[in-house]
Amino acid sequence: MWLVRPIEMDDLQGVLGISGEQGAKLSSTLPKQEDALAAKIGHSTRSFADKLKNGESARFLFVLQDTATGKIHGVAGIDARAGNGQPFYNYRRDALIHASHELGVSRRVEVLYPSHALTDTSLLCAFAIDPELKGTDAFELLSRTRLMFIAEHREWFSSRMVVEIQGVQTSHGEVPFWDSLGRHFFDMDFETADQYSGLLSKTFIAELMPPNPIYVTLLSSAAREALGHPHELASPTYELLQHEGFSAGCYVDIFDAGPVLEARTDCLRTVVTSRRAILHGSPADTGDICLISAGSGEDFRCTLTPLGETLKNEIRVPVSTWKCLECSSGDDVRVAPL
Amino acid sequence: MLVIRPLQETDLDALYDMAQNAGKGLTTLPADRALLERKIQHARDTFNQRCAPEAGLYLFALEDTELKRCVGISGIQARVGLDEVFYNYRLSVTVNASRELGVHVRTPTLQLSNDMTDTTEICSLLLSDSHRGGGNGLLLSRCRFMYLDSFRKHFSEKVFAEMRGVSDKHGRSPLWDALGSQFFDMEFSEADMLSGLGNKSFIAELMPKYPIYVPMLPDAARAVIGKVHDNTAPALRMLQAEGFNFNGLVDIFDGGPVVEAFVHNIRTVRESISRHVLISHKQMDLSLPASERVMVSNVSFRDFRVTTIPVECIGPDTVTLSKEVADILLVESGDQVHLAPLKDTISKTHVPGGARYGKPDR
Repeated sequence: MWLVRPIEMDDLQGVLGISGEQGAKLSSTLPKQEDALAAKIGHSTRSFADKLKNGESARFLFVLQDTATGKIHGVAGIDARAGNGQPFYNYRRDALIHASHELGVSRRVEVLYPSHALTDTSLLCAFAIDPELKGTDAFELLSRTRLMFIAEHREWFSSRMVVEIQGVQTSHGEVPFWDSLGRHFFDMDFETADQYSGLLSKTFIAELMPPNPIYVTLLSSAAREALGHPHELASPTYELLQHEGFSAGCYVDIFDAGPVLEARTDCLRTVVTSRRAILHGSPADTGDICLISAGSGEDFRCTLTPLGETLKNEIRVPVSTWKCLECSSGDDVRVAPL
Repeated sequence: MLVIRPLQETDLDALYDMAQNAGKGLTTLPADRALLERKIQHARDTFNQRCAPEAGLYLFALEDTELKRCVGISGIQARVGLDEVFYNYRLSVTVNASRELGVHVRTPTLQLSNDMTDTTEICSLLLSDSHRGGGNGLLLSRCRFMYLDSFRKHFSEKVFAEMRGVSDKHGRSPLWDALGSQFFDMEFSEADMLSGLGNKSFIAELMPKYPIYVPMLPDAARAVIGKVHDNTAPALRMLQAEGFNFNGLVDIFDGGPVVEAFVHNIRTVRESISRHVLISHKQMDLSLPASERVMVSNVSFRDFRVTTIPVECIGPDTVTLSKEVADILLVESGDQVHLAPLKDTISKTHVPGGARYGKPDR
């Protein structure tokens, strides 16, 4: 069975295996270095246990585990406050009209403004999964578990959610937007900058990023085309999140210009459609497959289960599901349709 | 004989011909009769003190007295940016550095500025092909510094000139193509023409207001920022010899440099002397090479005249002029005139009483 649960220190090697297979982009939230990852796991554990140090903001990491083998197949995260107490950088796409009444001309000029407006919104991040599982139920489970968690702990999160989607990158690893803009100022390649962004404080972005707005028309044509477009490998994620109620607004990533999806937390499909119910046993593995979560904080678990319902807000699930969730009959759980 | 005098209405035809032959790139004097007529009128009003001296446009004609025709023009705009907005880009540098990462990046930027507002501009120099050489270009350009010197209070302490930037033989400017045209759907030559017609600030309103990061521009455009057109290189050298220097500003259209100097530092001003006129009945040899002649001007605001005479005419306290030259300069015996070197190479030994060469008391 597929289980999603809070990350533990023992998952370190398993997660390194997953993140190592991913492209550069992921590193900004999930480092490939062992000690840096260990620090993230520690931070996550404190967040789940609600034992954060002074000034820390909550960052949750979940892992997708095959209960039969114990192997880790994916990881996903939520930052309760984007930027984690530091500025969260984006470019805001905006337009100016350059017009002259005397000359009878009017022209729309697109501009990218450096922005911190999304700071402190809640951020879905650090999503990485075994490539073979892309588009499967396990993929949906891993991604949506985070929303089940948010539904369960709504007060820990902000009223707005954002997700950064990986931007366009060529098969040779070149990032057209970076090459046209960031490279001039950071004096390093995209991968290095992205790594630093995960490892170091964000101060270096403030130090190196051009402080003034950027005229889109002065970017290379490849960079202009990449603006706000997701990486093709990110399209399953993009579609899933759109279905969930996220949509692309006017923000893009400062490094690769990938779209930033936004949503109101209370309008997310999982938050709206999930509901609490009381757990009961079922003798048969019948019914529609649903998401089911139980427990809170560090005991939070989420899995997929065939589900039968009664009229008294009770649900009937196989005993294997109970075991997976570490629950017993009569416990409160949360369910949502797949 | 060639003499500098204020431009007048009868010069319109000659001026129009010159403007037509000059082709594209001479922003301040487009071949537009109505506009040229207005400029002449403005200049007339200025010299006749019908407008405030600070708002004046001082246009000088180079007249060939035998042909009785204007063969060149040069000008001084007393102040720029008073009734419209005068734009330049300032070529600046932004440093982004991270000690943590050991990164230190210098990024040149172009920042829109109005820094030249309320400053005197020398402009509109045009010399007919038939009269090139023999120091005529020098006379046409430098006569302005003699005027500035004589009437300093009407002008700013600093004067500047916008030098024509790089464009190819079809009138295409690499900087305009990379920058201006992205914001303004127009060919450089057209924009340049419009700006000569007095629409420059309208166009500037359409230009980007935020700083432009130079590394984001294509190589061809970056290469011409602060560079002059080949045809303008001699004019630039001449101004550099006068003490003008690039001041970090460039034209917003073609990237041509702005050069400036303080009036008191301009070579012509520093080296000018004054003498009293002594009229002689001897003829003067006016066909000497430029290096053996000096500029001589009267001190009239309204009827300013400059011509050149042999350097030998200068005495310790006086300058000896033939009746003909005195008449052309509108001076009589005993009047004060100013003298200044025409060519860079003039040496002090050429000037009798060289010990007193320099600023006289006045």
